[in-house]
Amino acid sequence: MKFATASLLLLVLWMTACQAPDIPPAREYSDDLVVEGKRLIAQAPRQDKNLWRLRVGLIALKQNQPAEAKALFDAAMPSAGQILQADASTRMAQSLFAPENVKGFHGEPYERAMGWFYRGLLYWIDGEPDNARACFRTAQLMDALAEKQQYRADWVLLDYLDGFISTKLGQDGSTALERARTHADGTVLPDYNSKANTILFLQTGFGPVKKSGGDVGEALVYDGGHSDVARVRVTVAGQTVEAPIYDNLTTQASTRGSRAMDLVLARKANVKKIGDTVGDVGTVPGVVLVEHDETRDAGLALLGVGLVGKFIGNSVEPRADTRTWNNLPQHLSFAALQLPVGEHTATVEFLNASGAALPDRQKSVLLTVQADRDTVVLVADR
Amino acid sequence: MKNASTAIVATALLGFVACTNVNSPNGPSVTELRPDERGFVAGLGIESQDLVTISDKMARGILGAEPIANAQGKPVIVLEPINNDTRFPIDKDIFLTRIRVSLSGNANGKIQFVAREHIDKLEAERDRKLAGQVTGGEKLQGNEFRGADFILTGTFKAISSRGNAGASDYVLYTFQLIDPDNSDIIWEGFHEIKKQGRDDVTYR
Repeated sequence: MKFATASLLLLVLWMTACQAPDIPPAREYSDDLVVEGKRLIAQAPRQDKNLWRLRVGLIALKQNQPAEAKALFDAAMPSAGQILQADASTRMAQSLFAPENVKGFHGEPYERAMGWFYRGLLYWIDGEPDNARACFRTAQLMDALAEKQQYRADWVLLDYLDGFISTKLGQDGSTALERARTHADGTVLPDYNSKANTILFLQTGFGPVKKSGGDVGEALVYDGGHSDVARVRVTVAGQTVEAPIYDNLTTQASTRGSRAMDLVLARKANVKKIGDTVGDVGTVPGVVLVEHDETRDAGLALLGVGLVGKFIGNSVEPRADTRTWNNLPQHLSFAALQLPVGEHTATVEFLNASGAALPDRQKSVLLTVQADRDTVVLVADR
Repeated sequence: MKNASTAIVATALLGFVACTNVNSPNGPSVTELRPDERGFVAGLGIESQDLVTISDKMARGILGAEPIANAQGKPVIVLEPINNDTRFPIDKDIFLTRIRVSLSGNANGKIQFVAREHIDKLEAERDRKLAGQVTGGEKLQGNEFRGADFILTGTFKAISSRGNAGASDYVLYTFQLIDPDNSDIIWEGFHEIKKQGRDDVTYR
């Protein structure tokens, strides 16, 4: 009987040892960044999904997948007139014990403006320039929250495009052009050609990145982006156009000034600092006093207060939201040309401050010019 | 005692159910509203209640316009796309479609609309008929596509502002019925809406 039990045990042990481990098959990754991006969107926490949609939407736009880009931007951005209302996540973001980034991502004003900028570009690709203009106007309005008057709604390209589309639609675009030139700060903006039918949106470099500042991470500060491009030269069908830099995203991000949310974070930071101070002041003397019989009671009380202070200080979360739409460019530029109907190959050269073309950045773009609508393309140096 | 407890619990439940507002985001996850009703996600933009109010108002105005009301026969109206001069991207056809449907429903056959937006397909079908590729060509007497007695179009303009105190949008909706023979505006109607709102503090 003992032999039978031992044999059975050995058999079970042998079968278990021979059982192949359950190794899941390696995940197959696609070469298509948009497909991979959608996987990241699906895996992202609910509050971060819009951020990933914006990132992947821009990748789709740069890879000439406008339908994908449109769907992603539409899903990521609230409608033009929507009020961003309080919900459970925003209430939590204001509470002492949760950081700001628990709220749903809608970005800072420069990110919201860029979302509407790209959405406008997509409307223009679809042959709806007046809806594109509507998006550019909404984008400009996103920047109207800047703390200082001179930085409010001061994107040059957005006003320039507003006036350009108005001119193309037979309306008066001079007021918008004047606003753009006022904000251009010495950059010479070309006059409008209402017959231009080929629109090139140009962008260069890497945009700004948010990081936390202040004593306990309660402030939102920016690491500046970078671009070594000072002008963009477009050569096509015997025409050469040099486009200036219209806007700098680091400037736009960093001139926003303080936010209403900063007051909430400052209050949280104060509570945290007071808690930490009480903790420091109470804990160490409390430990010392506890060691002597005559001061033990006072020491225990002080230690208790110190530990409560430490607990509060460690529990309060004043950190600012540093989630960043991190594939935005540093510079925006623009060129409009009038070309005959048909296919043309354009050469886009990115020039540095001394006017030399950066050889590793040159792009060749096939333009299919149609009779009944504008041809709109986005060209990026990165 | 037991009856009293039961009554208190039942009253509390009844009160809780009665206080649940179906229009609240805390209520049922899907709520069906009338198109002219302002929903709980209402914003500053052009919304369904604006569409319904404006298109019904314009349809009434057009039916009461003298050249339409006293027209001999059925005037032919062609719809031209709206010029959107606001900050809100819109489906420009939806207003004119809503006005057309409202007019068709209330005009008792006094107005004729033509499907000019499908002209490419209509021309192709007519050509097939005339070429004998399909039946019906024998009934055609040359070009029978109707010209417009009137063109209905519109323009939306807006004044928008935004600041720490909130955002404000005023939209002026104007519609015109134009005689294409002489460019006379034979009827014009307008509607204006101003909305204000403010984002939650966490987004300001």
